Amino acid sequence: MSVLRSLLRSRSSRPGTLPAGLVLLVVAGALVVSMLVNADATLRNSQAKRNNAPWRTTVARDVADVADALGLTSPRRAIDDAMGRHSSNLTAEQVLARQRAGLAATQKRPGHASTPTTAASVVPHLRTPTPADPLKLWVGGDSVTETFGTQLVRVSTSTGQFQGTLDFHVGTGLVVPSYFNWPLHLAQDVLPKVDPDVVVIMFGTNDGQNIRLADGTILTAFSQPWQDEYARRVGAVMDLLKSPTNNRIVMWPGPPPMGPTTGTHGMDLISHIDWMEARTRPWVHYVDTWVYFSDAHLQFQHYLPSAGGQLSGLRQKDDIHMSDIGGTWLSWIVLRDLGRYVDLSGSRTRPGPNDIPPTSVKERTVVPPHVPGAI
Amino acid sequence: MLFPTIDFAIFFLIVFSGSWLLRPHRTSWCLFILASSIYFYGYWDWRLVPLLLGTVVVNWAFGRAVHASLGPDAAKTVRSRTLVALAVVVDLGVLGYFKYASFFVDTAAERLADLGIHVGDPALSIVLPIGISFFTFQAISYVIDIGRGVWTRPVPLLDFAVYLTFFAHLVAGPIVRASEFIPQLDSQPDPRFVRSSEAFVLILRGLFKKVVISSYMATVADPVFNLPALHSRWAVLWGIWAYAIQIYADFSGYTDIAIGIALLLGIRFPQNFDAPYRALSFQDFWRRWHMTLSRWLRDYLYIPLGGNRGRDGFVYRNLMLTMVIGGLWHGANWTFVIWGFIHGCALVSERVVKQRWARRPAPLGLPTWLVHALQWFVTFQVVCLAWVFFRAPNFSDAMAVLGRLFHGGGGSGLVTPLLMFTVVAMVVSQFVPSRIPERITEGFGHLAPALQMAALGIGLVLVDALGPAGIAPFIYYQF
Repeated sequence: MSVLRSLLRSRSSRPGTLPAGLVLLVVAGALVVSMLVNADATLRNSQAKRNNAPWRTTVARDVADVADALGLTSPRRAIDDAMGRHSSNLTAEQVLARQRAGLAATQKRPGHASTPTTAASVVPHLRTPTPADPLKLWVGGDSVTETFGTQLVRVSTSTGQFQGTLDFHVGTGLVVPSYFNWPLHLAQDVLPKVDPDVVVIMFGTNDGQNIRLADGTILTAFSQPWQDEYARRVGAVMDLLKSPTNNRIVMWPGPPPMGPTTGTHGMDLISHIDWMEARTRPWVHYVDTWVYFSDAHLQFQHYLPSAGGQLSGLRQKDDIHMSDIGGTWLSWIVLRDLGRYVDLSGSRTRPGPNDIPPTSVKERTVVPPHVPGAI
Repeated sequence: MLFPTIDFAIFFLIVFSGSWLLRPHRTSWCLFILASSIYFYGYWDWRLVPLLLGTVVVNWAFGRAVHASLGPDAAKTVRSRTLVALAVVVDLGVLGYFKYASFFVDTAAERLADLGIHVGDPALSIVLPIGISFFTFQAISYVIDIGRGVWTRPVPLLDFAVYLTFFAHLVAGPIVRASEFIPQLDSQPDPRFVRSSEAFVLILRGLFKKVVISSYMATVADPVFNLPALHSRWAVLWGIWAYAIQIYADFSGYTDIAIGIALLLGIRFPQNFDAPYRALSFQDFWRRWHMTLSRWLRDYLYIPLGGNRGRDGFVYRNLMLTMVIGGLWHGANWTFVIWGFIHGCALVSERVVKQRWARRPAPLGLPTWLVHALQWFVTFQVVCLAWVFFRAPNFSDAMAVLGRLFHGGGGSGLVTPLLMFTVVAMVVSQFVPSRIPERITEGFGHLAPALQMAALGIGLVLVDALGPAGIAPFIYYQF
């Protein structure tokens, strides 16, 4: 009771001061209040963090359960909704189903020209871009996309054939939609507002963690059920990005190999899943990033020689993210591959010999689930 | 461990409790704070702890040796001067190795590769110990102060270790002097009167500046500096101003939190920012921006170089050298040198103009407010110009950003009313009289503790909700 009385009435004889014990109570109390009100957001952040100790997520979930039961999380949710943050648990397949339902409803309206919605069996047709009429290129993904996307926008814009937009979100992927829901973001923001002709999208770095399904089932990272679920999510995003009029191409670079001390592994398996899903979708082109960021034995390398013979550091010091040079390499590779679908012969710029990997490096015809020796 | 994280909050609650329980027992308190600070530093990378402790031991030993070599009445001797110089060389050598060796090795490897000589994997990726620039400068100031006779006796090793490693200022300042910190170890702050309201307001203000303002400004400044060619001159202009606000909010936000945390532990740090963007001159700016670095450079570089004594040309040289070296302190990049050079030129030009102005027989006849407005405008814009070089990764990128100001057409969705409002509001906030925040602090102090708790809790919720998910490290951590 005396503690409560102190909290409610205490006044110090020296203005602006409190006894240390009361300060401790005030600080701890404020932290508890904010922890409970922010519990959902804290849980989302904890789930999204790579290599987060499991106990942290367990504690965050317990706190969120208590806060939910007490109804304390609604103020924070209201703020998040007002700020348009997508923290929905909708799966990629649910978002896709919504998109298709919306499209079907639009087509049923009187006077609306019908457009095919089934998966096209032919590759998309894109117009030849010019400086006056460039293609809209949108590049997005997780933090690895930051440097790569920055370089891709720079390089593609320099050709005079693209108008680029970069949209990366740190710590995101397809495994924890409650942290950042990529399918929802693509369906609600990117496709209707940007309507890109070319989508370049890259995930994987943050996805090597357990998947928690809506019914609470935990799929252990890289287990067979996990692989099936991850493949479903990748496939649904690819389907989501398909243009109903078949005039959008999706470039899907797989994640690069990660350095041996990064603690990030399984990128070979994720690459394999991406490749498998892309194979059956003509509007998706898989880019085999792995071979350009590894040696002849497909092992991670920080430095590699360029086509001009210059040894270049392709990764940042963390051996996860790409350096500017690494991003430039991948950008020119993506543009080169894109040239198979679009006439890019009018490009105003060409890569220098040190902006691209040696021509001897070839993408694999089959991307296996495991690369011997890779982490 | 970043300040705005749950990990730090838990760490701080433990340290706060232990600190006040042990405060009456000086040695125990020092040992506890030292252990806490080492844990705080090692949380990033334990391999760097020996470097920190090595800096403590070496500089403490130098301090003792310098003190022992002083003459009667603490007069300087040849030996004391030599030892001080040696300490500075050792400190700067270590600092230089960690900050600049990677740069030189990589540059050499690139030049050799250009000549067709491949030196293999130049993987001399030296980890930059966080906060090394800050604690090295503090250590240097201690040894020099002993050499100058500021200290009548050498400081005990434990006191010196606590001073140099104290976690609240360890990684990004303020650059506290031993003469400001160590006497506070001897005082016994009364645990019944912790200066909580000032600390709470500082911490909340710092969190808001860092998590909300700085993060938001980054969403505009980053795209502009990464890809200037994609943005109109209008967007680039706002991007530069946004960066000016970003770095201020980031660094002063960090400092506010650091000062607040120290205050809760009964330690007072010197002020580091005083509304720098209200400065009417460059000299004024440097009296308000990173004040503890400014006075360090003044006392340990500018004045030893000769300061204001001597001919004009000599003074200009000293100013220029001080600013360029101050620029280099931030890192091995020509952009930092140019940043320092711009400030050096600005300070020199200002002196020249002032001297000539003083010789004018009659004033210009302009109203004072207009003169002040012009002075503010010129100062702010030149400071922003210098920030372009500070932010850009290299000279050509900086020129690309500046080039867009003259040749940038087209539209850009970056400039929104919210951005313009935030930038303008942050600049206007610099002109708010200091009595207003003081009254807010006083008002906060008059609240019952339960209300203070509620206000703090709501403040933390809002900061977390308005900021992005995941907090970027403080910009000055890299220095």
